[in-house]
Amino acid sequence: MATITVLKNPATVAPLDNYNPGQYYCELIGSKDQQNRHLTAFWNRLQQLDPGQLRTRAEDAERELFTLGITFTVYSDRTAIDRILPFDVIPRVITAPDWRKLDRGVKQRVKALNLFLWDVYHGRKILKDGIVPAELVLGNANYRPEMVGYDPPRGTYVHVAGTDIIRDPKGDFYVLEDNGRTPSGVSYVVENRHLMQRAFPDLMYGFAIESVSEYGTQLGNKLIEVAPAAVSEPQIVLLSPGVFNSAYFEHVFLAREIGIPLVEGRDLFVDDDKVFMKTVSGPTPVHVIYRRLNDDFLDPEVFKPESVLGVKGLMRAMKKGNVTLANAVGTGVCDDKAVYAYVPRIIRYYLDEDPILPNVQTHICREADALAYTLENMDKLVVKPVGESGGYGICVGPKAAKAEIEVARDALKANPSNYISQPMIELSVCPTLTEDGVEPRHVDLRPFAVTGEETWLLPGGLTRVALRKGSIVVNSSQGGGTKDTWILRED
Amino acid sequence: MSSLLSRYAESVFWMARYFERAESLARILETQTSFQRGREDNSWAWIVALYSDEEAFAKAFDEPDADNVIRYYMAYAGNPGSIQSSIRAARENARSLRPMLSTGMWYQLNDFHNRIAAFGPGDYSEVRLSRTCDAIKRGCYAQLGIAENTFYRDETWPFFRLGLFLERADQTSRLLDVRFAQQQTGLARDERYDFTFWTILLRAASAYHSYRRLFPHHIDPKEVARFLIFDARLPRSLAYCLAEIQAMIELLRRDFGLRHASAAAEQVETILIGLDTASRDGHLLEGLHRFNDWVQLRLMHLTDELGQAFFGYARPAGTASPLPAMSQTQSQTMTAH
Repeated sequence: MATITVLKNPATVAPLDNYNPGQYYCELIGSKDQQNRHLTAFWNRLQQLDPGQLRTRAEDAERELFTLGITFTVYSDRTAIDRILPFDVIPRVITAPDWRKLDRGVKQRVKALNLFLWDVYHGRKILKDGIVPAELVLGNANYRPEMVGYDPPRGTYVHVAGTDIIRDPKGDFYVLEDNGRTPSGVSYVVENRHLMQRAFPDLMYGFAIESVSEYGTQLGNKLIEVAPAAVSEPQIVLLSPGVFNSAYFEHVFLAREIGIPLVEGRDLFVDDDKVFMKTVSGPTPVHVIYRRLNDDFLDPEVFKPESVLGVKGLMRAMKKGNVTLANAVGTGVCDDKAVYAYVPRIIRYYLDEDPILPNVQTHICREADALAYTLENMDKLVVKPVGESGGYGICVGPKAAKAEIEVARDALKANPSNYISQPMIELSVCPTLTEDGVEPRHVDLRPFAVTGEETWLLPGGLTRVALRKGSIVVNSSQGGGTKDTWILRED
Repeated sequence: MSSLLSRYAESVFWMARYFERAESLARILETQTSFQRGREDNSWAWIVALYSDEEAFAKAFDEPDADNVIRYYMAYAGNPGSIQSSIRAARENARSLRPMLSTGMWYQLNDFHNRIAAFGPGDYSEVRLSRTCDAIKRGCYAQLGIAENTFYRDETWPFFRLGLFLERADQTSRLLDVRFAQQQTGLARDERYDFTFWTILLRAASAYHSYRRLFPHHIDPKEVARFLIFDARLPRSLAYCLAEIQAMIELLRRDFGLRHASAAAEQVETILIGLDTASRDGHLLEGLHRFNDWVQLRLMHLTDELGQAFFGYARPAGTASPLPAMSQTQSQTMTAH
């Protein structure tokens, strides 16, 4: 901290005067050995802001979000369809060298996962070679036997990936989770930037920041790349479960950014193994479906028969090669929390490379040793159910009350293979505007990768921030907020 | 070929209808505050009669007095035709239409919806009614104004206009029926107040000043009625609304190649012929209620034709039932009797 020059405004206390990240890695201070001049400049810029004004402008921004209806539904709160995801006005800044590493690391991971999925649904070499336990994959709830032998265009299964990345006290990045099914949050990346540009142009002035507005174009082009080969002008649609889905705003956002119709299951039908949408001029053929609907709701003929959100016959049309689904069905076997533990080995197996971004050490409780170790160290470990997302069912040992730990222990004992455990990583922090001024709050990062033939990474990402003091659960359903995420263009 | 989803077409149609419905209802409620100034009789029952809501209203409230009627039409959750319900329904339609709406429209709608939702009992008191109605009307004006200036003119636009003018035509014919509703609920016609009555009607249709310019010397009931029905330059007249409806159906057929709109076009022609006949009827005023009923029923047929042509409604088997239940998907609560 000694090298940071603080420009004091003599009249008031500057926003960061009392800021102390303690033992955690601070995203704004960065590496203490290798000071980044842009981070220092940004620190100084923040220091020049009037704290009172900072708050007023933050409140204006929140109000704007509410009116715009960038909304988020929390499942446990059914009536609150319009709850807003809190926005913190102090951006998270990622240096150019850090981003280069993240970019390479995520692309490597996505490539390996796509190869893994191809293998799982074709020759299963990796299982036969004993690299990944066959039962873990074939017995997985998200394994889809219907996909065996199906060749997705370009061999791509995971067209959109969201990789959750955290940083430890030393500043090293770790992958915490892969999201290869229907990862959400990218709309906030873009909308947060727009909001920032309107509310704090003075804060951004002079910094060379990567643009995030190309996402829709890139995704659209990738989706065209994976259209059935015979189609020259593919009709792409975005399939949403509808207005009551928690990510409906995002579906709207993406449909508009890509320039494609936002459809629901009831707008589509399958005839002669081809997919059509119902328009005012009659049935219109559909060739690529960017679906934001889980596998089991997609086609009542194959999966949940009671699903009214899906389209009867969709899987038949897909298998005939008349329509491409993005992401492909059955990608849930690659982002499962138990399979996660094997991803470094998966990378080495297919790419013959070391992982650029390491995993967090993971104990797979289906294995006896790991279970015993976990049960003994419940108070030190984070125990997670493998099939859940959204931070539900997680027990953070070091932060949990005794009774909570006992509940988690019973659940774990009752069904060990449903759980993994990991050491608690001391997540990095970011200066965040709170009731008590600017304070450190824990953050993670979800960059978004889109893949057709090749992979493109959006230079930005969703920074989620745990707004509750001391909390490390950043999920929006658990009191998390978001920040604008700046990728610096210059070293 | 158009790739506009049928569902979007239906949603945009109903969104516009709900805006117009909310605005028209505010206009009707506002007239009552004017009527009172000229009358000792403070009857509100006629509003319930005007919308044929007697049965539903009686289930919710005892007396059709000021407080109850205002609540029922402003905010009562059990009334799908109330102003709050209409704004909410407009917003629900808008939500599923989000990809097609300009940010400006969505922003304004949320802002408007939140303001209306925050209204409390004070805003619905008789003394504040005029002010509240005014706020609702201004909210709707802003909505339509933004649409006018930001809506992309693809094939979605005609459906917006169709919803808007279909509802407005329906509402204007209801406005013309106020006198009948009042008499039906026992309000004796008092000729001393005729002048006031027709002036209020003109004001409710934002037509007072234009009428004055055309007829500087008198407010003649027959001329007022004719003005509100036949004047092609008055944006709330039946003739104007129907011309707009006709133009939009033609636009769909001509510019967007949607040729299967002919049944709807025929419906519009039928109504226009009816209007033409009525314009030559020397006893129009005496038969006004029957005429209004006929117009409202025809407009429902037209909605139904649009539903079958564009929104994916099933065509009814046989012709026995003039109004298949399918056409009521968006709670056409204000049905003709």
